[in-house]
Amino acid sequence: MQQLLNGIFIGSIYALFAIGFTLVFGILDQLNLAHPAVFAVAAFVGIELVEVAGLSIWVALPIVLLVGALLGVLIEWVAFRPLRGRPDAHFAGLISSIALGGIFIALLQARYGPDTRRFPADSFPDERYTIAGAQVTLLQVAILVISIVLMVVLTLLVRRSRLGRGMRAIAENPTAATVLGINVSRIRTSTFALSSALGAVAGALFAMNVNSAQLGMGSAIELKGLAVIIVGGMGSLSGALVGGLALGLAEVFAVQYVGSSWRDMVAFGLLFLILLVRPQGLFGARRVREV
Amino acid sequence: MLTQLLSPSTLVFIALGAIFAYSFYAVLVAGQLSLAQAGFAALAAFSAVVVAPKPADVGPWVTLAIALVVGMVVGAAAAFVLGLPTMRLRGVFLAIATLAFAEAVRILIINMEWTGGASGMRVPKILTPGVAWFLLALVAYWFWRQGPSRHGRALEAIREDELAARAMGIDVGRHRMLAFVTAGAVAGMYGVLWAYFVRLLAPEDFAFGTAIDGLVTAVAGGSTMFVGPLLGSAFLTLVPELQRSLGIEAGWVRPFLSSLLLLLVILFLPGGLASFIPRRTPKVTPPRDEADGIPARFERRQHPAAGETVIELAGLGKDYGGVHAVRDVTLTARSGEVLGLIGPNGAGKTTLVNIISGLIPSTTGTATVLGVQPGKTPVHKVAAAGVSRTFQHSKLFARLSVLDNVVVGAHLVSKPTLLRRLIWLPSARADERAALEHAMRCLERVGLADKARNQASALSYGDQRRLEIARALASDPSLLILDEPAAGMNHVEADSLSELIGSLAKEGLTILLIEHNVGMVMRTCDRVVVLNFGEVIAQGTPEEVAADPAVVEAYLGSADEEGAA
Repeated sequence: MQQLLNGIFIGSIYALFAIGFTLVFGILDQLNLAHPAVFAVAAFVGIELVEVAGLSIWVALPIVLLVGALLGVLIEWVAFRPLRGRPDAHFAGLISSIALGGIFIALLQARYGPDTRRFPADSFPDERYTIAGAQVTLLQVAILVISIVLMVVLTLLVRRSRLGRGMRAIAENPTAATVLGINVSRIRTSTFALSSALGAVAGALFAMNVNSAQLGMGSAIELKGLAVIIVGGMGSLSGALVGGLALGLAEVFAVQYVGSSWRDMVAFGLLFLILLVRPQGLFGARRVREV
Repeated sequence: MLTQLLSPSTLVFIALGAIFAYSFYAVLVAGQLSLAQAGFAALAAFSAVVVAPKPADVGPWVTLAIALVVGMVVGAAAAFVLGLPTMRLRGVFLAIATLAFAEAVRILIINMEWTGGASGMRVPKILTPGVAWFLLALVAYWFWRQGPSRHGRALEAIREDELAARAMGIDVGRHRMLAFVTAGAVAGMYGVLWAYFVRLLAPEDFAFGTAIDGLVTAVAGGSTMFVGPLLGSAFLTLVPELQRSLGIEAGWVRPFLSSLLLLLVILFLPGGLASFIPRRTPKVTPPRDEADGIPARFERRQHPAAGETVIELAGLGKDYGGVHAVRDVTLTARSGEVLGLIGPNGAGKTTLVNIISGLIPSTTGTATVLGVQPGKTPVHKVAAAGVSRTFQHSKLFARLSVLDNVVVGAHLVSKPTLLRRLIWLPSARADERAALEHAMRCLERVGLADKARNQASALSYGDQRRLEIARALASDPSLLILDEPAAGMNHVEADSLSELIGSLAKEGLTILLIEHNVGMVMRTCDRVVVLNFGEVIAQGTPEEVAADPAVVEAYLGSADEEGAA
């Protein structure tokens, strides 16, 4: 039971991180490898807000969300917009986003140095509950609730709103969307903003959960994010949620039964199997090839 | 300062970085994004170090030579085994699957006894800058010679448009696998060299970041030109060294500047650093002597004799869910015939030719084309049987020159040249020359010779259609399928196209022409088949078909409906 809950808590952070990843991929067909850098930046910004500005964690999180959205806009403007229309946009986008992510991390190092940083000890009330014999902290519950609320809001946004309609239209056919008068540039920027906002919150929550933030924390979760979106299906929001939870659970149980040094093998074994058996992922739709 | 900058170890790092980048280049030229190279390198490094004798016993040269052979074989074998299930994945999916493999390898090595686990193995340092650069030169030489070989052109074609490459008779699976195995061997070489240079070989040397570095090096250097990886590695290795020698302190400034430069290269140099180097395009003029247009050096095709059956369709049907795109089509086409296929939009014309050329399998019925059964035979084998086609929406190899597009079209009739090019056999040069001249002649036939050196994507719409025809002709086909070739042409161009089709038919080529320009079909074809709602509603000579009331109804609507309205 304890393991189950732990798996769900860590899995919800994976899901939140991956959902931003998969949003950009599903709608714009590009992988944004600056996403992990946003994750790390957000953690440090969150710590700064709480520690130096003395804000409550509940004020800091929305600010982190905004910072993430701004970074998303920046990523789109700098790393992706100039590549539009280039035949190698797919590869070039990977590299330009890696480069921009590298710049983010370098700036982070300039501001905070290479050391691990933590949230101040009293920044979150240390309350514990016992559910069915398992220990649960208030923090863990908060993480789960925040993740799920954000994911539900995002799903509603994509399904119901005007912006979401535009996004889905672009995912289907960018040229047709332009012809129909949809402002593709604005929607692209918004998609990046949303994606990074979620990635940023995931970063701050992750830093709270493990109570540390390092410069390299983004690269550690990057692979897991990729695994989640493949398992769930590229571009599928609900798939990312299920995939994230599944990965969190798989890891926790792998540590328990197989040993911690094999933990990451589970993620990659799962990923590899899914790719071979069902490349479109558990929840993805197979794209029809057109002649 | 320069000597300080180019210290022996910097030189080795440039060479190693470049060799590793070549293992990415090997697949990037075919449009494949693989991140498994770090895994290949790790497997190769650890197994080579374990297998090879100690340099203290046999001397450094023998050790290195044995280790290199072992490493490259292990790398290539690992690539082959991984390639079997993954080569059908595309784009980001391939990247992530291969990445998963590389990570799995690393975890495996950490957990093994014989590899020393997470702390790694002590390995004597025997690699010298001279050896590293010699091997780099060998690898670069391979890719230099591969570029304009038949194999190299086929890889480029696959990168630009996989489906069109298949239709040109390129065995895409085999070529992709070859590129992948090459990448494995080169990555294996890198792994071994790395092991014998760093003294302490650890699994962490082959982590995700290493793979990303290799990819970045290849792309920043330029993934379409063989010097790219070398330039990329020199750039990415020297930038931090330069910063150090300029007295820029360690910490954030160095990674910041490196990332910034990388960003600038990617954004402003689409072809990578290699785009600073001008490309030479050979000047080719077609010779006038060969009467039937096929160079003597090419493989000879057996064309069916006039009047033999070329296409035989019996009860052919294709359903998409509940929609019958094609229903119970029975028709034959004989050698030397120009068969027109017309019908309103959505009548199933393109579906039918996709079945005939093997791109999609039929749901019911049988099709026999030039002795093979498309749908049950891979597309490239259908093409090899003598079927060549154009596409309704141009599927040109956009970033290749007009001439190179047509050279790829000649894939089936030209001979493989890579191995002979490696040892500079004059016959390879002659074959390349013959292919270029043949391509030029095909371009002349469609009137595009003066645009041979343009990039295909820069052509006007009508010219792109003509280039498609030239590319399809280059394979010396027995059956040529033209899917709306006159779309986007004015009537003068359409007339000359009609003449071209007539002259091709006189040479014995069988042509299946799909066209909306009914006037042109009536002028050009011997026989016309009319499709409506997936069914054949009429067939016969152009005159018979034009007079058929069912055809008139399909095109203009029935008289009754008009009256009722």
